[in-house]
Amino acid sequence: MPDYLLTTSPQMAKRHARHLRFQWYGRVAIAVSISFMLLMFTAIFVRGAGAFEKTMIAVDIEFAEAVIDPRGTRVEMDLKQGNYKPLILSGLQEVVPSATERKERNRLYKLVSGGAAFDLGERVAAKPDMIGTTQRVWIAASSEVDLYIKGKVDPESDEAVRRLNDQDIAWVTTLQQEGRVKRKFNRVFFTSGDSRAPEMAGILSAALGSFFSLLVCFLIAFPLGILTAVYLEEYAKKNLLTNLIEVNINNLAAVPSIVFGLLGLAVFLNFFNLPRSTPLVGGMVLALMTLPTIIIASRSILRSIPQSTRDAAMGLGASKTQTTFHHVVPLAMPGMLTGTILGMARALGETAPLLMIGMVAFIVDIPKGITDVATSLPVQIFLWADSPEKGFVELTSAAIMVLLVFLILMNLFAVYLRRRLESRR
Amino acid sequence: MFKKILLCSVAAFGLSACGNGGGSASDTSEGTAETTPFTTGRDQIKIVGSSTVYPFATTVAENFGRSTSFKTPIVEATGSGGGLKLFCSGLGDNFPDITNASRRIKASEVKRCAENGITDIVEVKIGYDGIVVANSTKSDRMELTLRELYLALAKDVPDGNGGLKPNDYIYWSDINPTFKSTKIEIMGPPPTSGTRDAFVELAMEGGCQTFDWIKALKETDSDTYKAICHAFREDDSFIEAGENDNLIVRKLNANPNALGIFGFGFLDQNGDSVQGSVIDGTPPTFENISDGTYPVSRSLYFYVKKDLVGTVPGITEYLTEFTSVRASGQDGYLSEKGLIPMNVDEHAQWQSQVLALETLSLN
Amino acid sequence: MEKNNTEEATAETHASAPILIARDVDVFYGKKQAIKNVSLDIPENQITALIGPSGCGKSTFLRCFNRMNDSIDSCQVSGNIQFAGQDIYGPKVDVVALRSRIGMVFQKANPFPKSIFDNVAYGPRIHGLSESKDHLEDIVITSLRRAGLYDEVSDRLDEPGTSLSGGQQQRLCIARAIAIDPQIILMDEPCSALDPIATAIIEDLMDSMKEKYTIVIVTHSMQQAARVSQQTAFFHLGELVESGDTESIFTKPAQKQTQNYISGRIG
Ligand SMILES: Nc1ncnc2c1ncn2[C@@H]1O[C@H](COP(=O)(O)OP(=O)(O)OP(=O)(O)O)[C@@H](O)[C@H]1O
Ligand SMILES: [Mg+2]
Repeated sequence: MPDYLLTTSPQMAKRHARHLRFQWYGRVAIAVSISFMLLMFTAIFVRGAGAFEKTMIAVDIEFAEAVIDPRGTRVEMDLKQGNYKPLILSGLQEVVPSATERKERNRLYKLVSGGAAFDLGERVAAKPDMIGTTQRVWIAASSEVDLYIKGKVDPESDEAVRRLNDQDIAWVTTLQQEGRVKRKFNRVFFTSGDSRAPEMAGILSAALGSFFSLLVCFLIAFPLGILTAVYLEEYAKKNLLTNLIEVNINNLAAVPSIVFGLLGLAVFLNFFNLPRSTPLVGGMVLALMTLPTIIIASRSILRSIPQSTRDAAMGLGASKTQTTFHHVVPLAMPGMLTGTILGMARALGETAPLLMIGMVAFIVDIPKGITDVATSLPVQIFLWADSPEKGFVELTSAAIMVLLVFLILMNLFAVYLRRRLESRR
Repeated sequence: MFKKILLCSVAAFGLSACGNGGGSASDTSEGTAETTPFTTGRDQIKIVGSSTVYPFATTVAENFGRSTSFKTPIVEATGSGGGLKLFCSGLGDNFPDITNASRRIKASEVKRCAENGITDIVEVKIGYDGIVVANSTKSDRMELTLRELYLALAKDVPDGNGGLKPNDYIYWSDINPTFKSTKIEIMGPPPTSGTRDAFVELAMEGGCQTFDWIKALKETDSDTYKAICHAFREDDSFIEAGENDNLIVRKLNANPNALGIFGFGFLDQNGDSVQGSVIDGTPPTFENISDGTYPVSRSLYFYVKKDLVGTVPGITEYLTEFTSVRASGQDGYLSEKGLIPMNVDEHAQWQSQVLALETLSLN
Repeated sequence: MEKNNTEEATAETHASAPILIARDVDVFYGKKQAIKNVSLDIPENQITALIGPSGCGKSTFLRCFNRMNDSIDSCQVSGNIQFAGQDIYGPKVDVVALRSRIGMVFQKANPFPKSIFDNVAYGPRIHGLSESKDHLEDIVITSLRRAGLYDEVSDRLDEPGTSLSGGQQQRLCIARAIAIDPQIILMDEPCSALDPIATAIIEDLMDSMKEKYTIVIVTHSMQQAARVSQQTAFFHLGELVESGDTESIFTKPAQKQTQNYISGRIG
């Protein structure tokens, strides 16, 4: 045996070096992208984590009938809309007796959320036998107090530029000393819609809006996209018309999304008179937007199905349609689903087309169906990011986290479906 | 599996077809618009318009929704012009009932409204908004005149011999030797924003008109006048910072030498990190904007279709809430959000005028 | 059945009547002619081998018989092919019905990514050949037996067909083809990827099958053609050079080209 076969020649050394170098390029690329992602996620998390907790203040409230329900009717609507402000205020004054002047009382009341009175109304309406008793109730603090408790207000800074003055902070400290201040899980964030007060704002309305829009989008875009792809790939003859269609689909995929919004405005709203600001129209617009993506992805999957599969079926006397739907489409389905879900993930993040059809709006009510007015998650993020109140900063980041969770869930679902479909073979 | 998916899809088509069905129902009512001017199917007020008014309108909407049995109105921020366009497109379910504006409605818009059957419009003035030129509290507060502001921002500036030269002021000290010699860096809103429009009209034109020969042009050659007064410089001394005022505030924190142009509401909420420059000797305070001494302030309005009062439930109540003292009055909750209220007399006058549903006549 | 006397290729007397008759067949892929004026008779219940160098058009010609070329957009077939007296390219002919009478086994085993059972059952299912579940099971088992595969897979009919070995897969494809009970089976190099043992099994299989079926096989192996076929047709550059009894083709070929090919000088 000549020994040069087993020793490293200069050429071999070069090859090894190149191999190693490429491995390292790859590793560095991955490391860089992961660190960017980590950086982004931690930044969002650090900023948004606070939003999952909120500050509550315990107030002893005397549910006086004379104030809540002077006529004693116990009608739900009246109970809800009763005047609870003085009850809360006198409860607060018990702790801070020094605040007697009108101006001071106003400031004192500002320590609690503007929504606290409505909240009490709901509670009383749900349990009218509370009337006449005195109870310690935990009510939401205002966003300013919340930020202070979370350490985001510097009490040493110039008083004139703070939204809580020294007096307010002294009152909060008194409340703290009496154990009347605590932080608890911010349930409101997950159970309510938008609000102008950060401590009362929630993501549910937007999340449901996104869900309904995506549902409509999926139900329209998936069958349309897949049928189009199957037709073009399996049935259509190659001619000028199909070439033209193909070019158009490829172009559509690159059209800026706002154009689809304009189209939706012109066609769905102005021509068909579908209701503005609804997930129905939003989903339809998003469907238009994702269709090209789904078609292109599905076609390339279909093209990758080997001809031998089609031959096998057709050789047995299966018709074109049987061949396509018994063999080709099931094989392509996992890939087509993945393509669809990727397209929808992109749709989930869109605000531009929704702007045109009125889904970028202040909406408090929780949508119950596809024809109720709604916003969507990215729209909510955009609206909160644009709000002057400081409390919205953490809400914005928290909403981004919710959006990310949505995306992760969608992708996991795609993986799950793929596994399931593939295991069927 | 595939069959199942296909089935679902078919069901979905049915669903969207149902949606279409609903749509075509309102279609037909739209078709009969000649005889009955609008439909009454909606139980929720729809509001569009200015993004400056948006925080105030949403606050009122939310309070209104919580304290009455009516649904909370939907408020869209479409910009003043966009809002008025939608507003004047017609009467009916798919058109807004109310539009917010950070400027007064124009005669052309009133005409367009009238062409579409909207003849009776109720105008509601809600208060004032100041546009501030602010910097980080880490630097000294600036004291500027409108003229200096114009010189710092304009594309071309007077050359001192009755002509123009491209703006070559790089440092503040180039404009006024008493200023520090820091680089001029101003961040402001893009041309699509209402804030920009108002700033151009109030600050730029204000500064521009301190030059007599330019002021004279206004009468003789208004195109040239506009070209001189409205154009912002295009070098890196003026940075278009996007519609998001929060972003400007954050960038100011990062760059203490920069100035930012945005609405008073943001200054009010972020007083711990940014400060408004004194303009023509007047600092942008609540009182100064309210009594009109601060030069860069404007009035905010919204417009209501009178025909809908009594048709879309809650409109009267919404007007009552918005014009109430507790909302838009001196110490009302909107002042918390940065609205600068009218003085007591003006407020009272607008309140009674609005509640009497007096319609707008521009003249 | 019109006889064409201007034939250049010899239509010799056969032991049995032809079931497939091709006359003046031309096939074009776009502008390129792959088959040039070929006429050939395929006798019933015999094995006919198509031989010739690579690219000479054997597969193309074979695929004309069950119109598999229809699915290739650029492919144009002209001429006349008759199956049991009917023009298979006639306007009323249903390709699906045609293919249920003329089955095909491909060069590369291509089982469906389904269970062994479903692979074989697919044909009978789409053609509605089984009256009941039991009957279907019956068909599947007989077909697998005929293809000589049953004993190897009887305990794992639920496993995917793709999990079998190459030779088993090819036999599965044969079982699948005979499950629809065709009259003719077209085989395009069925053994090209198989070892001698698997090849022998399949050759035995063909031999036993010719009682019931007519088989047309494309092969590159002279030995295989000699072993299994009764008739042989030699193609070169899209033309049919010579056809006739396997025996006479291999022992005393009429054409020089044929002589060269079978002795290994061209190809
Ligand atoms: N789908 C097609 N499109 C265009 N030309 C084709 C196509 N299929 C085959 N051809 C051409 O037709 C001619 C005959 O091909 P065919 O596949 O029939 O050859 P073959 O005799 O089966 O060869 P092999 O023994 O290598 O399988 C070849 O020149 C080939 O290039
Ligand atoms: Mg071949």
